[in-house]
Amino acid sequence: MSKYVCTICGYVYDEALGDPDGGIAPGTKWEDVPEDWVCPVCGAEKSAFEAVESKEKNAASIKPKPETAQKHELSKMSFRAMSSLFSNLAKGSEKQYRMAEAEKFNELAQYFKSIASNKAHDGFETLGRMTAENIEKDFPSSNAIAKELSDRGAQRALLWAEKVTRIVASTISKYEKSGTEFLDDKNIFVCEICGFVYIGDEPPEICPVCKVPKFKIRKIERKVV
Amino acid sequence: MHAVRNIRLCTKDCLCLYVCPTGATDTENGQIDADTCISGCRACVDACPSHAISLVPDTYPPQQEKSKDVIAQLMDLAEKKVEQESIAEEISASADDPATKQLAEALAISNKLMAEDLIRESGYMLPQSENVKEMLESLLSLEMGGDFPKQTIKDLIELISKNNTTEVKNMSKTKDNLMDAFAGESQANRKYLAFAKKAEAEGHTNAAKLFKAASDAETIHALRHFEVAGKVGSTADNLKTGVEGETYEYKDMYPPFVEQAEAEGNTAAVRTFTFAMKAEEVHAALYQEALDTLDNDEEVFYYLCPVCGNIEKFVPDKCSICGVPGEKFIKY
Repeated sequence: MSKYVCTICGYVYDEALGDPDGGIAPGTKWEDVPEDWVCPVCGAEKSAFEAVESKEKNAASIKPKPETAQKHELSKMSFRAMSSLFSNLAKGSEKQYRMAEAEKFNELAQYFKSIASNKAHDGFETLGRMTAENIEKDFPSSNAIAKELSDRGAQRALLWAEKVTRIVASTISKYEKSGTEFLDDKNIFVCEICGFVYIGDEPPEICPVCKVPKFKIRKIERKVV
Repeated sequence: MHAVRNIRLCTKDCLCLYVCPTGATDTENGQIDADTCISGCRACVDACPSHAISLVPDTYPPQQEKSKDVIAQLMDLAEKKVEQESIAEEISASADDPATKQLAEALAISNKLMAEDLIRESGYMLPQSENVKEMLESLLSLEMGGDFPKQTIKDLIELISKNNTTEVKNMSKTKDNLMDAFAGESQANRKYLAFAKKAEAEGHTNAAKLFKAASDAETIHALRHFEVAGKVGSTADNLKTGVEGETYEYKDMYPPFVEQAEAEGNTAAVRTFTFAMKAEEVHAALYQEALDTLDNDEEVFYYLCPVCGNIEKFVPDKCSICGVPGEKFIKY
């Protein structure tokens, strides 16, 4: 009997136990679990699971030189990225109860967003392609570099972003397959800390990715068009 | 270090209002007023039954160095995430059916949060850090259009500089005063204890009691001054301070004192200095040992010689410094 772990939230599917609540009888082999079965904790698709033994991923073998440099050249950043930089600094100020700073950082965030230009795209198709590239290429190489240079902060941020990207990718693929059918009678929630997207009736008690309690998980309303 | 209240944990017991010496906790916006809060006082922190109040530093240490390669990776990913955010936003804006609109909005928010976190880890964690200040300064030199909010950036630089330096400026003289007061109160404590001993010996019980009470009062003052001055660190740091202090005393301070007392023929002073010097050397070694084994859970007992201040980890036959019998040692 083998075990498979959800790469998003860490739930383990044990063939011996099955998932009776999800209609999978104890003793059901992984290959016999239907393709439309989803993780009972975070809603990830079956493809987001991997065998417990094969936990080490094939990360790109990149050997960077640890060259320290605090600063990143601003000229390389897009205006939209600048906007996110400032909106995050606004949140950081708020958390320290420095409201005057928060207000001004937010002003800058809005300014840079207002002058940002958008690239041409093909909607969900482009999103699907970009998330797939993130998962296949970007995260493995970034993870390897952050690990090599023992940057715990970066490893943490990358781990969360990778998990969230996987759940976003699976949501996009569901949408591309069957439109909005999977959203019928369901709510959509986003974790305000890490961006985890959850589709269901009620949000999970704690975010499966970053583990904040559910009061930080925000419901996205369905507005009448 | 001023106090902040976590509204989510606050159960409105209002003991912070009851104990606050300045009324800083008594506000209508739910927050504790940073300007009137006494730095390091922590009366409200200790009083709160819901652990809803904590002290936050007025200044933070510099951020850890980030490698250029890591920053490049995080920024590259962040750029991809903001692009996805912008696509999702456009889908949401132009979608006709409510469910697609809703889903795209969720994806836009999700991507923005990922981008924010990745950028934050690229060296922009603390709003008041030098790194953010430098970034804002370099922004002023960018060639931007007419509606570029230069004044907002200048205001922010000003606010951030204030955050970084206010405490240092305001506290420099006060810190000296706190340490002077600590020294004075500490001496008064020992002095009154000596007086109490004498009063007891002379049979003046009431005077002895008063000296003892006053001696304890000075301890309360001294401890509070010392804490507010920011001199109490982590136990590891405090053990290091202990090693330094004791080492200075036995190596540099006492040897010339002993010499001088010998030259002046003051045998009582030679004796008390020598006992202290030898005991301080033992203390320095014990502090170092405690520092090295700080994570060790095994319980240790210490035995104090009441005559010379020597400390042993077992009961000796007699004190190795002053020769007092081992049975006199006090167990800790």
